[in-house]
Amino acid sequence: MALISIRSLTKRYGSSVTALDALTVDVEPGIVGLVGSNGAGKTTLLKILLGLLEPTSGEATVFDLDVRTHGTDIRQYVGYMPEHDCLPPDVTATDWVAHLALISGLPRTAARERTAEVLRHVGLYEERYRAIGGYSTGMKQRVKLAQALVHDPRLLFLDEPTNGLDPAGRDEMLELVRRTGTEFGMAVIVASHLLGEIERVCNHLLAIEAGQLLRSAPLGTFTEQTGTLSVEVEEGSQRLAERLAGAGLSVAVDGRAVLIAMDGTGPYDPVRDAVAELGLALVRIEPRRHRLEDLFRDAPAVPVAPVAGVGEPPS
Amino acid sequence: MNDPTMAVATPAETPAGSIYDIGYRRYEGPRLGRAHAVRSMFSYSLRSAYGIGRGTRAKIAPLLLLTLAAIPAIAILAALALLRQFPGGEAFEEELPIRYDTYFGTITTFLILFCAAQAPELFGRDQRHSLLALYFARALRRTDYALARIGGLVAALLIFLLVPQAILFLGRVLLSADVLDGVAGELPALAPLLGQAALAALLLGGLSMAVSAFTPRRAYAVAGIIALFIIPSIVAGVVVGLGSRDVGRWLVLLSPTSILDGTNAFLFDTPLGGSFEGIALGLPDVAYFAAAAVGIVGSIAISIRRLARLTA
Repeated sequence: MALISIRSLTKRYGSSVTALDALTVDVEPGIVGLVGSNGAGKTTLLKILLGLLEPTSGEATVFDLDVRTHGTDIRQYVGYMPEHDCLPPDVTATDWVAHLALISGLPRTAARERTAEVLRHVGLYEERYRAIGGYSTGMKQRVKLAQALVHDPRLLFLDEPTNGLDPAGRDEMLELVRRTGTEFGMAVIVASHLLGEIERVCNHLLAIEAGQLLRSAPLGTFTEQTGTLSVEVEEGSQRLAERLAGAGLSVAVDGRAVLIAMDGTGPYDPVRDAVAELGLALVRIEPRRHRLEDLFRDAPAVPVAPVAGVGEPPS
Repeated sequence: MNDPTMAVATPAETPAGSIYDIGYRRYEGPRLGRAHAVRSMFSYSLRSAYGIGRGTRAKIAPLLLLTLAAIPAIAILAALALLRQFPGGEAFEEELPIRYDTYFGTITTFLILFCAAQAPELFGRDQRHSLLALYFARALRRTDYALARIGGLVAALLIFLLVPQAILFLGRVLLSADVLDGVAGELPALAPLLGQAALAALLLGGLSMAVSAFTPRRAYAVAGIIALFIIPSIVAGVVVGLGSRDVGRWLVLLSPTSILDGTNAFLFDTPLGGSFEGIALGLPDVAYFAAAAVGIVGSIAISIRRLARLTA
């Protein structure tokens, strides 16, 4: 069985808001990026898996245990780093993390030892004896990660771990996440809306949008299949798109740019000819770097199809 | 699941002079589960109620109030010691206003202030700083959390109530001519004392936790608790003052402190306080007892229900 198995999971808030819509997917160990725009249902999904929220319908298991009935058993082996601030200002990092270790079920001595060790791992040294209220955002994020790691979970849920960090802080946090998944041997699920970050640490991606599964696949297959050539012109992108579509290419318009699906070598000749014939001012032609973003564009160039054997299509 | 050897495969050769990284070690020890989590939450709450494990500022209010509550006991012991020097002092002793059975009434105001100051620290603080998600993502359930927190405040209140009594008890024993005789003489007072303290701690603690479960804002919770403890007795007094004795005396059952006085009189034969005279006479004793039971069970149920609905 999979590490996490989700079957037609649905969560509605009230009668109008649907956060998860019949989501069905399996998650295997590794560093899994859970991507989706704000409000796509990422946090809701994590909270249901933790047993913090009750699903409206459908089923989910973690470690083959039902999240509805075995929440307490699951949570002893799961670490959770929430997106929002969740630290008391008037307590030291050591006291706070040790307290949470006890609540996770660790004996007192073990709680103290694990706290010291885990704070060292996230890079908090002398500061850990100071009250958290005086910490920088970067240090707070480290404490949040430390509390999620302190009971040595088998599975780690990180919700937007780089929230509020500057570029250097982001790099450090991502490196910590990568180490956690590789050196510490934990399964990690990182929820984020920043694709550029997620592709740096993950080996598998789970894309959701409006509570539905967009795709679940190894990172490599995402970039291969979403190859796009971007042709930017001064004006007349609509005319260019029509001309290229007439030539049998799969295109979409994104402002001043025309996005063309690439297969193999790329349609450079038809593009050159079309631009010249229409007399357009060409700004640049480039393959898209962050092609993952195309997942969330309404572009016909992007195939939305599950990869066989990994995920199942949303029903 | 994961290959456990991966955890051990950390860089072994670190350059000389740098901090030696021993790598990540797995925790293979026991996980004690839910009961352990509840116990830990309870003792953490008890310590937080006295500001232990937090900054100096968190300790000021509880320790100041505890000191104030103990001062009458110390003062009366000093007076007793002094009176013993004079002939006829023993007779005077019986007339002293501060005894075991009147002590709780003496420090009720401090007790209410302690509830108002510390109950919001135990419930509201977690909501204010969004700490609930971290608790509920662990071995603890929502009901466990609510009960452990309430238990923590109740235990803190018990300490608050019994420390002055212990001072009084020890002082009286030491002042008596024969210590063993002294202990024997004071012992009968013990059981009712514990009963009254438990009743007060459960009722006032439960009610103040129920109020503070509803708001993350400390100021609102403090005001709400004080209002709950003080306004009903004032209202009852006013209604009686306006001549409606029948309605007024039942309104007394909305006032937590009056319920305590009445129930103590019913269960432990304590004298009714001054605020009572003329108001409550004629109300069946059982009514107080029932009101206390409803107050305790109801307030705890309200807290549990509220916690079950809070988004974490």
